[in-house]
Amino acid sequence: MVHLSSFLLKKYHGGYVVIRLALGGATNRPFYRIVAAYNKCSRDSKYIEQLGSYDPLPNIRNEKLVAFNYERIKYWIACGAHTTKPVAKLLGLAGFFPLHPMTITEAERRQKAALTEEVKMERQEQVEQKEAL
Amino acid sequence: MLFTTSPSIPCGSLKGGSSIHSRSDIIYSMAASSFTRCLVRSYFCVKCVDHVQTRLQTTTRMFCVSASRSSFVDAPKAQFTDTEVQDILTKITGLDLKKVFRPIRQQLTPPKYKLVTDTELEEAVRKAEEQAKHLLKMPPVLPERKPINDVLYEDQMLEGMDTAKYVFTDINFNVPHRERFIVVREPSGTLRKATWNERDRLIQVYFPKEGRKITPPPIFKEENLRVVFEQDRHEDVLNQCIVQFEPDSAEFKNVLMLTYEDIEKHGKYDLLRSTRFFGGLTWHLVNGRRIDGLLVDMLQRDLMQDAVRLVHLFNLVHPQSESAQQAQTQQATDLDLLKIYAQYESNRAGFIELAVQTCEQAKALSSF
Repeated sequence: MVHLSSFLLKKYHGGYVVIRLALGGATNRPFYRIVAAYNKCSRDSKYIEQLGSYDPLPNIRNEKLVAFNYERIKYWIACGAHTTKPVAKLLGLAGFFPLHPMTITEAERRQKAALTEEVKMERQEQVEQKEAL
Repeated sequence: MLFTTSPSIPCGSLKGGSSIHSRSDIIYSMAASSFTRCLVRSYFCVKCVDHVQTRLQTTTRMFCVSASRSSFVDAPKAQFTDTEVQDILTKITGLDLKKVFRPIRQQLTPPKYKLVTDTELEEAVRKAEEQAKHLLKMPPVLPERKPINDVLYEDQMLEGMDTAKYVFTDINFNVPHRERFIVVREPSGTLRKATWNERDRLIQVYFPKEGRKITPPPIFKEENLRVVFEQDRHEDVLNQCIVQFEPDSAEFKNVLMLTYEDIEKHGKYDLLRSTRFFGGLTWHLVNGRRIDGLLVDMLQRDLMQDAVRLVHLFNLVHPQSESAQQAQTQQATDLDLLKIYAQYESNRAGFIELAVQTCEQAKALSSF
C-alpha cells in the first residue's frame, strides 16, 4: 500500500505512483531513466526512486542498453504503481511482462511495409527492363 | 634501538589487487565448504567446482597377467586446490620481502623514519611477512567456463520490430554477478541469455571495477605481448590480465599460457620467483611434464629444497609416471627423489645428477 502520510505534496488527491521514462541527456542525444514517481509530478522533476535506465541510441555493437532493477519494480507494482506504455513495452521485450500487443502490431505493420516496398521495387525493375528492351 | 623506515606497505598499489585477494579467499572458502552464499560484494562467487576425479578405466583382460601392475589402478589426480599442492607451491614461490615490496608505481611520498626497539622491529617484520603472504595469494586455476547458449523465447512474430538488439540487465545490488539476469532480444525476435563476453562487458558498465576496461586493451594481442615479453615485463602483463579478465575465461587462460610458454622458452623463471604467479607457472609446467628447465634453474641457484618439492609435486600430479612409482616403492625422500626423477623422466639427467652429487659433497663437508 502507498502510505499517504509520506506524500511530499500535501494537496494531492487521487494520485498514484507511476513507473515511467524521465528524459535526460543533451541535444539530439536522448537518454531515459526508468523512474518511480508520482503521477502529477512533471516528467523530469523529483522522483521517488530510480529503477533503471534506457538508452534509445544503439552503441557500436548495435545494442540498445536497458537496465532494470526487477526487485524494486516488483515492489512498486505490488504497491499499486502503474506503468506507462513505453515501459510496459520494454518490460514485455525483456520477458518480465507478457509481450505488449502494440509491439506485435508494430512488428506486423513493419513487415507489411517491407513487403509492399519489395513488391514496388520489383515492379520498378520490371518496368526498367521493359524500357531497356 | 634502530632507525628503520616503515615498510611502505602498498595496500592498494596493485589496482584492484586487494579486492582480488578477497575474491580468491572467497573461492577457497567456497571450495572447502560448498554453497555458502557470500553477501559481501564479490565480483565472482563460483559455486563449488566439481572436482573432476579422473579415474582410469580398469582394463580387465580375459588373459590377465600380474595383478601387481599398479599403473592402471584408480589414482585420484591431484588438483590445484588440494592443501598439499598449495603448500608445495607456496613454499616454492619463496618469500623475498625485498622483491615483494619493491617500489611499485605509486604516488611519490617522502619516506617515513621511525625509531623503534628490537622487539618492535621484529614485530614490524612479522607484519610485513603476513602482508607479503597476503599479496602472494595465487590466482585460481579453474576449468574453462562453458559457453551460454540458452534461448528463452523464440517469437517469430516480432521479426522486423527493430534493427538493433535490446540488452536487458538486472541492476539489483544484492545479486552476485554470476547469477545476474542479462538477456538479449535480437531483431529476429529471439530472447536469449547473453554470452560470457557480453556479460562481462555489461557488468563492467553498470558495476564498474577499478582498473578494468570495457574493451580489453590491445596489450593482450599476441604481437604486443611479444614486445612486452622482450622487455621482461611479464609480471605487469599478468597483473593487468588478472584485473581485466575473469579467471575462468578463455582470454585469461590464453594470456597466462602465452606468458608461461615465453618464460619457459627463455628460462626467465626468476622474474616470477617471489610473485603470486609462480604457483600458476609451476602448475602449468608440471601438467605439461616440462619441469626440466625449472629444475635446472633451481639447482643452479642452490635451491635444493625447492627442487625436491618440485619433484614431489610432479609425483603427486602424475602418480602413474615411472619416477612416482619408483619413489613409492623405494619410499625415497629428498635427494633420492631427485636422483630417481633424473634417472627415469628427465632429459637433462646428467646435469641434475651432477648437481645432486655436489650438494651431497657440500653436505658431507659441512657436517665435519
